[in-house]
Amino acid sequence: MPSSMIEINRLVKKYGDRVAVRGVSFSVLEGEIFGLLGPNGAGKTTTLSILATLLAPDEGQVTIAGHDLPRDADRVKPLIGFVPQELALYATLSAWDNLAFFGRIYGLRGPALRERIAAVLDLVGLSERAGDDVQTFSGGMKRRLNIAAGLIHQPRILFLDEPTVGVDPQSRNFIFEHVERLKAEGMTILYTTHYMEEAERLCDRVAIMDEGHILALDTPKGLIGLLGGGVIYVGLPGDALETLLPAIRALSHVLTASAQDGQLKIETSDARPALLELIELCNARDVPILSLEVLEPNLESVFLHLTGKRLRD
Amino acid sequence: MLKQILALTWKDLKIFFKDLGGVAVIFLQPFMFIVVMSYALSGLFEVGEDQPIQLLAVNQDQGTQAAAVLRQLDEMEAFQVETTWEGQPLTREMAEKLIVDGKRNLALVFPPDFSAVLEQDPAAEERQTTKILVIVDPATSSQFVEPILGTLQGLLERTTYTAMMPKGIDYFFERLAPQTPPEQREEFKAQAQEAMSGGLLGGQEPLVTLERTVPAGMQVEEYPDTFQQNVPGYTIYGIFWIVSLLAGSVLQEKREGTFRRLLVAPMSRTVMLAGKLLPYYLINLLQLAIMLGASSLLFGMSLGHSPAGLVAVSLAAAATATGLGVLVAGLARTEAQVGGLTVLVLLTFSALGGCFVPRFIMPAWLRTAGLVTPHAWALDAYQDLLVRGYGLLDVLPKVGVLAAFAGLFFGIGVWRFRFE
Repeated sequence: MPSSMIEINRLVKKYGDRVAVRGVSFSVLEGEIFGLLGPNGAGKTTTLSILATLLAPDEGQVTIAGHDLPRDADRVKPLIGFVPQELALYATLSAWDNLAFFGRIYGLRGPALRERIAAVLDLVGLSERAGDDVQTFSGGMKRRLNIAAGLIHQPRILFLDEPTVGVDPQSRNFIFEHVERLKAEGMTILYTTHYMEEAERLCDRVAIMDEGHILALDTPKGLIGLLGGGVIYVGLPGDALETLLPAIRALSHVLTASAQDGQLKIETSDARPALLELIELCNARDVPILSLEVLEPNLESVFLHLTGKRLRD
Repeated sequence: MLKQILALTWKDLKIFFKDLGGVAVIFLQPFMFIVVMSYALSGLFEVGEDQPIQLLAVNQDQGTQAAAVLRQLDEMEAFQVETTWEGQPLTREMAEKLIVDGKRNLALVFPPDFSAVLEQDPAAEERQTTKILVIVDPATSSQFVEPILGTLQGLLERTTYTAMMPKGIDYFFERLAPQTPPEQREEFKAQAQEAMSGGLLGGQEPLVTLERTVPAGMQVEEYPDTFQQNVPGYTIYGIFWIVSLLAGSVLQEKREGTFRRLLVAPMSRTVMLAGKLLPYYLINLLQLAIMLGASSLLFGMSLGHSPAGLVAVSLAAAATATGLGVLVAGLARTEAQVGGLTVLVLLTFSALGGCFVPRFIMPAWLRTAGLVTPHAWALDAYQDLLVRGYGLLDVLPKVGVLAAFAGLFFGIGVWRFRFE
């Protein structure tokens, strides 16, 4: 059983009157990729900033590799790598010079530094462009170098804050492959994103955050399972909502059904046959369908199911 | 299209006016520059009106001629002659101290035999001459001193003429007695013509000459040239622009996220700040070395007699400039504020501190106000070394003041600095 690398217990962070993180608790196991999924403003970056020693919590306990934060920040810092959302690089320096600078900040010198620079450049596929100024790089190349800078000192834990924002699909896949290689090497990774497909593909476990709370925490499969086989929202004329409800509940692929905001919310074990049964029932009862929406079982739908909002809202 | 232009305009105006610090700086900066430069230059533009040049005068003359010259000088609107200080008659020592202290720039010392020389018998076998000492702060520009000396020279010639002419005419009449032979008459005619052509002093050495000197303790071998006047001023003006580079660099790092990356690294905030300061401090020192070295090599400007003094002043001046950079970085919240604040502070300090206009031509209150700027102290310290011939020990108090400025700027800057 892997040990816990990160422990957060009832974490609270306020900016003046605004509460950004409201009593968040979770733990991240060694070698795990843990995702924080949520829209902008959910509190993901604030949580990550506290873990990266950039901010002090107002309440709650934070432990990284057995060290308390912020008290033991000096012990934690060498263990963590931080890849901020911004392209935190010196544009007028070469890729090599950027990595050499960040390596020296972490105490690397001489052959050890050169070996690490070569290794991380190889990892992110930028060895050929090592001597070029960063300002000549494409957006995707800058993103990869941004990650390389966070890896230069071989951290045990890597914090990736929205590492694929503004990246083309090809570079995004490249980044996914890097992250998977790092996991294979045993690195613990905390990954924030508002792209559900990234969380589904990369993360062992995902915490869904919104407005400073964790709404759900499980494996991607477990979270998707919250929706069963999918959810159907169907709009029907006013009186039909109540009269049709018992018959809908009796359909073979329907798990639950309830009237909500003028429409029916139907959770299914399999959305497609349930939809066919629903349409047949409405035709048989001569009830017109006014609106229809089917949520496929994925994290996007889970978020919508949990919050009533879309991830990109 | 117009709507889009208006929308863009409205958006940028809104962004601009939301940054109240930036707005204040933008409007305050030209205003401050106008105020400071107008007052600083008032000495140049208002001479002869309500800003007379103050001249110290030590009258040791045992007769009345020096008093007459001083009275005529004082009656000119351009000059205000001061023969007393705080109720006491001026002595040479008092005048020298006032110059050394920077309260005045120039003093005239009339010798005890001034009247006796002017009123001497033209028939006397041995012709007496004398000198008026003109004690000048070596850091005072020639453009300021020369017109004063020219005016004084003219007054002296007039006084000499007034004092000497009656006796001269009597002398010539006596010598031109009727019994004089023709050849002697021709000789006297020639002498009279020669006397008139060379002025009333007869083409000989003037009875009164002006001797320029410096206060005791100052070692000046040559009077300052235009480079010695201008190089320190503009060098100091130049090194303080490091403020813009340093503060801009900090703000840029914050904007681009590299600052957060550094904050995550295992490094204390002190080390981080020191690492941000040191390169700019070294750039400042390099600036100083190049400016002073190039002025010496290319223009033959004297660097004074004290390399150790130059090093001490340069280290302190660079520390002050870098410290001011930290202060601006600590106070400014946006890059617009850095730009505006830098221009506001630097131009105001440079003007007040005498980098553009020598402080001695400023009104007294503005000269005093200038002492709140590090520029004034740095400039004075450099001029002590380059122009006044002082050494390390003489400039140490000013180095101390600069170090205090550096400490103050750095302290407030670190206190207000946001490590986030």
